Amino acid sequence: MKLKTSLLLLLLILLAASLSACVGGGAATATSWPGLTVDENTAYVAYNREVRAIQLADGKLKWSFPEEPNNSTTFYANPAISPDGQLIVSSYNHVLYSLNPETGSTNWEFTDAGNRFIAGPLAVEQGIFAPDASEILYALDLEGKLRWTFTTEGESWSQPIADPDCECIYLGSMDHTVYALNPADGKLIWQTEGLGGAIVGIPVLGPGGVLYVGTFGSQVIAIDTQDGKKIWSAPTEGWVWAGPTLSDDRLYVGDLDGNFYAFDANTGQEVWQITADSLDGQIVGSPLVLEDRIYFTTEAGILYSLDKQGQNLASVEVGGKLYTSPVAAGDLILVAPVQAETSELLVALPKDVSQWQDGQSVWAYIPEENKK
Amino acid sequence: MDISQIWSLLILNPMINSLLWIYNVLANNFGLAIIVFTILVRLVTYPLTSQQMKSTQKMQDMQKSKQWLDIQKKYKDNKEKLSQEQMKLYKEMGVNPFGSCLPTLIQFPIIIGLYQAINQALPPAPTQLLNFTNHVYPFTNAASLIPLNSYFLWMDLSVPEKDFGIAIAGFTIPILAILVVVSTFFQSKLMTPPSTTGDQGAGMTRAMNLYMPLFMGYLAYSFPSGLALYFVTSNLVGVLQYAAMGKLNWRNLIPARNAPK
Repeated sequence: MKLKTSLLLLLLILLAASLSACVGGGAATATSWPGLTVDENTAYVAYNREVRAIQLADGKLKWSFPEEPNNSTTFYANPAISPDGQLIVSSYNHVLYSLNPETGSTNWEFTDAGNRFIAGPLAVEQGIFAPDASEILYALDLEGKLRWTFTTEGESWSQPIADPDCECIYLGSMDHTVYALNPADGKLIWQTEGLGGAIVGIPVLGPGGVLYVGTFGSQVIAIDTQDGKKIWSAPTEGWVWAGPTLSDDRLYVGDLDGNFYAFDANTGQEVWQITADSLDGQIVGSPLVLEDRIYFTTEAGILYSLDKQGQNLASVEVGGKLYTSPVAAGDLILVAPVQAETSELLVALPKDVSQWQDGQSVWAYIPEENKK
Repeated sequence: MDISQIWSLLILNPMINSLLWIYNVLANNFGLAIIVFTILVRLVTYPLTSQQMKSTQKMQDMQKSKQWLDIQKKYKDNKEKLSQEQMKLYKEMGVNPFGSCLPTLIQFPIIIGLYQAINQALPPAPTQLLNFTNHVYPFTNAASLIPLNSYFLWMDLSVPEKDFGIAIAGFTIPILAILVVVSTFFQSKLMTPPSTTGDQGAGMTRAMNLYMPLFMGYLAYSFPSGLALYFVTSNLVGVLQYAAMGKLNWRNLIPARNAPK
């Protein structure tokens, strides 16, 4: 009996240890992948406990925020640069920060949000628009004062976008709909019907009043910005995480099954598809289109490029997992891997794919703590 | 295939998808999905529960036997010899000393799997949601269900009770944890067969009846409250199962009537 009781006690201890080991604490730690934004000379990377400014010229660290990082303040969303030159960063500790992009010093903080900011903020002339994970969109002026809030029917993990033609902002939501709001007062202009799946990617606005979104319902959908009605929907094999990218009447998008597509933006007809057999890993980030080439990343840590006809596929292995959308900076393509063996946080590769053959990056930024 | 893939294939994926399927059937209510899932788990593991009861009964019968009492008396000063003789007796009487532990062992992967399933089905952030998408079967139609509604009664099933519980003067009243402690305590009491008084085993059982509810209460308070809902439901269903078999020991709840004569 003593042996049996001891065994039971041991099992209880093991159970507690197993549960704790699963997450390292009480609840699952909320995490994401790096947020990445660039201006003329600097890349801003929001990841884990810090926002870092990295010089595009040489990949050297310019500054990091906060001065004393701590585990309760984490950053993952794409920072935004406002028209008056503020760097707006959203955090998982329910705070929105305005930083000086030159020094990383704080201009102001908005601390009244009720939940973590998973989406990046939109910063435009009309103000700052930041949805938190508790179904509330906060509208602030450029000094960080709250102007209004709007409550959606579900969480919003997607950055809003602005439409200068109609003085609207559009917000894709986990509640399977898209909202059009008046940025002046937060009044609802329209809300789409259910689109068959959550929207977590950033919508893209096309000419002629059409908004395009990708959904977890394995569809790319075109929406009329006049009334929120669906114009067409195009099926994909897997769930679509990122928003599509629009270029010359073509929409380019990848899905979580690892397929990559080009759709006609006017009709939704599939123009071509690269199947998952030819690629490696889930496609989470939005593609980047530069001149005549398309760039996209996969979970397997590979940056791919192909031409607009879906031909001449080139690839370079960066390592780690690539979920963040690639970003252009002059002649560079920036990618932000996670769990890279060599611990890079940001890697700059040449835009010219003929230089990918040796697999060499132009530069790579490795945080000091990762070098130890 | 590594161990985590085997775990996902055999435990985690079936759990996540069962929960999703039940959630879909039950009008998108994750609390009800956990309750129905728990009842199904108790039904599936019923043969083990029944086996545990038989093992426990056999053990009790053996401990009342003359041979057992004789060797206790004879070797009371020689622990090693006593242990050897006890093992011999276990063999002779066909009693497996660990037979009643099996249901507890079975609970292990269920609790860990359910904990992971709740965390992944109610993802707090993109990494967890992306991970979740790798576990869903096509037939569950998960795309139309996400995000799952994590609210049930006063609970947010995706977070620990300490994060949403009713607070008075800054102190969160752990209602769920208390329910888990009380239901585990009563279940242990009601399901413990009458013991031969004064033996070492009875002392151990009393200790376990005290520590086990506290331990479960700690888990309920610290981990997502969906797990606490599983504990409470599992305890209640367990008591009902024993009651249906006519094996509840109500006398354990009344100390005076259970006292040694």
